[in-house]
Amino acid sequence: MDTIYKWFNERLPISNTFERHLSKHPVPKKVNFWYLFGALASVVLIVQILSGIWLMFGYENSEEGAFASVEYIMRDIDYGWLIRYMHTTGASMFFAVVYLHMFRGLLYGSYKKPRELVWIFGMSIYLIMMAEGFLGYVLPYGQMSYWGAQVIISLFGAIPYIGESLEIWIRGDYYISGSTISRFFALHVVALPLMLIALVFMHLVALHEVGAGNPEGIDIEKHLDDDGIPLDSVPFFPYKVLNALVGIGVFGTVFAIFMFFFPEGGGYFIEAPNFEEANPLSTPEHIAPVWYYSPYYSMLRAVPDKLGGFVVMAAAVAILFVVPWLDRSKVNSIRYKGIWSKIAILLFAVSFITLGYLGTVPVTEIRTLMSIICTVIYFSFFLLMPIYTSFEKTSVPPERL
Amino acid sequence: MKHITSLFFVIFAAYMFSAGDGAPCGDYGECDTFEPDLWNNESLQKGFSTYINYCYGCHSLKYSRWNRIATDLDIPEDLMFKYLIFDSEVKSGDLMTGSMIKFNAEQWFGVAPPDLTLVTRAHSPEWVYTYLRTFYEDGSKQYGVNNLVYPGAAMPNVLLSLQGQQILGCKDMLTYASNGGVKRDETGNNITEERCGYLLSLNNGQLSTEEFDQLIYDLTNFLTYVGEPAKRVRERMGWYVIFFFIIFTALAHLLYREYQKDYH
Repeated sequence: MDTIYKWFNERLPISNTFERHLSKHPVPKKVNFWYLFGALASVVLIVQILSGIWLMFGYENSEEGAFASVEYIMRDIDYGWLIRYMHTTGASMFFAVVYLHMFRGLLYGSYKKPRELVWIFGMSIYLIMMAEGFLGYVLPYGQMSYWGAQVIISLFGAIPYIGESLEIWIRGDYYISGSTISRFFALHVVALPLMLIALVFMHLVALHEVGAGNPEGIDIEKHLDDDGIPLDSVPFFPYKVLNALVGIGVFGTVFAIFMFFFPEGGGYFIEAPNFEEANPLSTPEHIAPVWYYSPYYSMLRAVPDKLGGFVVMAAAVAILFVVPWLDRSKVNSIRYKGIWSKIAILLFAVSFITLGYLGTVPVTEIRTLMSIICTVIYFSFFLLMPIYTSFEKTSVPPERL
Repeated sequence: MKHITSLFFVIFAAYMFSAGDGAPCGDYGECDTFEPDLWNNESLQKGFSTYINYCYGCHSLKYSRWNRIATDLDIPEDLMFKYLIFDSEVKSGDLMTGSMIKFNAEQWFGVAPPDLTLVTRAHSPEWVYTYLRTFYEDGSKQYGVNNLVYPGAAMPNVLLSLQGQQILGCKDMLTYASNGGVKRDETGNNITEERCGYLLSLNNGQLSTEEFDQLIYDLTNFLTYVGEPAKRVRERMGWYVIFFFIIFTALAHLLYREYQKDYH
């Protein structure tokens, strides 16, 4: 056994990698539950990849066969329903943990120097996930798949000059058809997952290079022991792995409650009209995206002009990328930031959730007004960040964790 | 910070559970309550039989297979072939694609009658339960009937002989004061007000109202089952998986606590 291990180890960096990234990788010894969502996101990613592969065994990527093949999976394949619900619930859970993971970053300044790249890779993951989720929602080819795709693709049509050709290029046809399904299928199962995996890899490599943050927002590298290991750290394996296991247990319970008892998530995970096959001749009464896109959908609807709405929506995602350079605060963590940052992040969270709610219900005048107010708050949080973070009075974080 | 976090979750929860818009059952308003009973095979069998006799002529169940239903509902296959399958070419593993040709259907009804495998999921079991009980006489329509839940539905009331006719009429309703009490006049009699748009039964069907409601209950129960046959096992399996995760969490927590002693 030892000789075999030695043979491999001399040819592959097995023990090096294990020590560097697991057994000797130092992580802050005191963090809170907010620091679990990254690990949970990687668990869901694995769930999505595995359940996705199993779904492909039964799925048919054609205009005539797509909808029926999903019902075939639900009925005729042994435990097909389990795989399918795992994938649909997994999609929502993926976004839930990623949103919480991102919010953690905003709370504790996880994007601040030297973690800018970690943040940018993370935001790229989020961007790809949004595309991935959209493409996946089209594949079952239900009413909401069709009309949701219609709305989203037509947004690209609002781009001046190239819009119309761009729409045709995306659909692969003059209207949503079998060619659209085929290309969305290829992108959903091959192209974007490859990009996701590559980005997750980069996200982790960059993170391990600069080390994980902590809720105090302090640099644990300032106090090292004789071996050069931070005093306030513990090895990732087994300490943090065990911590993550507890998180996975709780998360698994929540996941199972939804998957087995509320797989439609009250219409927020799988929308009722999606149990009807796509019908280009009949528009559903009310087209709404699934919950994880609804904040952006509200922003889109808040702007009366289609191109303007599209620009606002794109800007809302784009602005997240530059957060590391908007935050001018001396401290990282919200715990030591001033009152303005605290108010700002609270307003931001409330407005984002309000936008999310508004995106799932039909528009009324008062709701449009609320969407506009919340959109303004959303952008103000970021655009005013350089001002309120540099002028407010911060307190002094402790030296040690 | 803790307050911000808890506020965050409270607001989130409040939004998640806030009610949607519009009446779910059209002109009827709120749908009648319907509680499916998916392990009641007797009810499901009756519903299946009603479906085959009254609905299947026009509405296929094309994602479902004959033998799946037979197995799930405990119906011996030979009995199913004898009493419920009227087409001699059908084999037990076939999909229930129905017998109507789409082209004919469009000629006869204007639209092809929809497949109903997933109707309880595309709408809701409550919607179906209410819809089937709210047909009323309306001479202006092609089939002489209209529906409160789905006004203008292009469907004849195939259960008319069982239910009897219903008309849309007015009835005297109690009026309420702002404090919630019933309004009364000086002599102590209730003040009533005539409101319209209510279903009144002419009671000329073969079944009583209770019997008819039960028939529709069984039928809707069957449609709820056929919308998701796996639902019966899904919820049972769910309890085991949740139980597993709770034990897993407890053990992981104990182990974590043990290891935590190393650095605290």
